[in-house]
Amino acid sequence: MMSMLQSEWIKIKRSAIWAIMAISPAGALLTGLIAGARGASGTWMDALTFISILHAMLLLPLLTGVYAAMICRYEHAGGGWKLLFSLPVPRTKIYAAKFILIVFMVALTQLFLLAALLIVGWINGFPSPVPWRELALSFAGGWIACLPLAALQLFASTALHSFAAPVAVNAVLTIPNVLIGNSSRFGPYYPWAQPMLAMIPRGDGGLPDLTIHIAPAALIGSFVLFLLTGWIYMMKKPA
Amino acid sequence: MTTIADSIVQTEALTKSISGKAVVNEVNIKIERGDIYGFLGPNGAGKTTTIRLLLGLTKPTSGTVRLFDRDIRNHRLDVLRKVGSLVEYPSYYGHLTAVENLEAVRRLLDVPKERIDDVLAIVRLTKDAGRQVKGYSLGMKQRLGIATALLGNPELLILDEPTNGLDPAGIQEIRELIISLPRTKGVTILISSHLLSEVEQMATRVGIIAKGSMVYQNSISHLREQAISRIRFTVNDPASAYPLLRSSGYEAEWDDRSLTIGRADNASTAEAVALLVKHHYDVYRVEEQTASLESLFLEMTGGERSL
Ligand SMILES: Nc1ncnc2c1ncn2[C@@H]1O[C@H](COP(=O)(O)OP(=O)(O)O)[C@@H](O)[C@H]1O
Ligand SMILES: [Mg+2]
Repeated sequence: MMSMLQSEWIKIKRSAIWAIMAISPAGALLTGLIAGARGASGTWMDALTFISILHAMLLLPLLTGVYAAMICRYEHAGGGWKLLFSLPVPRTKIYAAKFILIVFMVALTQLFLLAALLIVGWINGFPSPVPWRELALSFAGGWIACLPLAALQLFASTALHSFAAPVAVNAVLTIPNVLIGNSSRFGPYYPWAQPMLAMIPRGDGGLPDLTIHIAPAALIGSFVLFLLTGWIYMMKKPA
Repeated sequence: MTTIADSIVQTEALTKSISGKAVVNEVNIKIERGDIYGFLGPNGAGKTTTIRLLLGLTKPTSGTVRLFDRDIRNHRLDVLRKVGSLVEYPSYYGHLTAVENLEAVRRLLDVPKERIDDVLAIVRLTKDAGRQVKGYSLGMKQRLGIATALLGNPELLILDEPTNGLDPAGIQEIRELIISLPRTKGVTILISSHLLSEVEQMATRVGIIAKGSMVYQNSISHLREQAISRIRFTVNDPASAYPLLRSSGYEAEWDDRSLTIGRADNASTAEAVALLVKHHYDVYRVEEQTASLESLFLEMTGGERSL
């Protein structure tokens, strides 16, 4: 499995994925510093709420789809599937490596954003102590809530030959987050809304009308369903 | 020196139907260790589909594939370790250099790093190895594809129309490359083409496929014999003389004016004439048919000259 991941890493490390990964942290850094320069005083929880609304409602689901599409793009473009499928590696390994890389990229995105938030807080002098527990829960929760979406997008990106198609479908389905994310009835079951429900802090400092909880059963259930669907497709995929 | 022939590729009644049409129809391929097998057929004959079936890239509708004497349904990954392939178009990652492309594959084959330099030298890409492959010409991509196929020191090398889309100079280059491949370790090669002339000089055996069915499979020398030693008799009643020649052991064909026999040396030609005369046929003409291999090939594949 290590060699499979190394092989995938060679392909991904030379792609445009890093520039795309910088978008969210750079945006957070910029808006945070501008706000600080204007003299706005803030707290850690305000900043976390602000960041997680923008990032988790839109950027995070969009990025997850883009990563999945990028990790499949060069296989579609240059006959990579045919090459991979004629090498002595099980397709399950190929599928697992692709999935692991996507969620690794999402995890890196979260870490960089967290770093950006810490820098903003340090420069703007947010009152101590740093709420480490809340930050960790929010960023890790956002990552975990992305897993079903990552599996779904990997399936879409392997099945659809074009790069744009799965990304566009993902974008169209992300936009309703603005509404569905506020619905306690549908939000917890909507894969695109799950990351924001997990990331936005609740209780002290969290916005009262945004404290809809994720449903762990729905999260796990959809994750297993999407992962299995994608895996079965990969096993049968023509090359 | 009698050794039991080592079966490298063997298919049995291999069939693939696509939307009800058998694009590969009951194909029996037999390739032994050390063969250079020319797999010939016009465009659309089913060569690529057959090769996909051999590699397990697609599943047969019926029939079996054995590589290295093992059924690929149960031993696919084991046998693929010993196979290098280039199917239809070379696969490559355009955003990577040739070295990175080979490295991505090498990780999965677990061969020493030096092997990358070896295969780059074999296909003469060493000089361009640090460039992004998307800037390569088709011929260079094709050579990179061959390098990728060679990377794992395969015992069986499968090259599907490796000269497709190349200009004459590129074709010559690839052909020289394949002929020069190290054959000392008993590498077996399957190379497909729609041109007989392209594999004629290198193949030891040929299989000819037309409209999904194998129409010929034997050594290249047998094909040559067939092409050169054919005698045509123009006789008064070819239809009734035909069974006579057949029953006397001749490989004969007939049309409404003449009979043609293959494998005809002087003795058998004389005997055939004597036989016809003895049975009171009028023999008007006896002509040698110096069919070229190419025309024989066209005849076997349905003579689609217009293509
Ligand atoms: N995926 C497919 N769908 C429909 N028809 C196909 C497919 N693959 C191959 N064919 C048909 O099968 C026949 C054989 O194709 P192919 O194996 O590519 O021939 P060759 O490689 O000898 O040129 C052609 O008529 C082609 O149109
Ligand atoms: Mg073909």
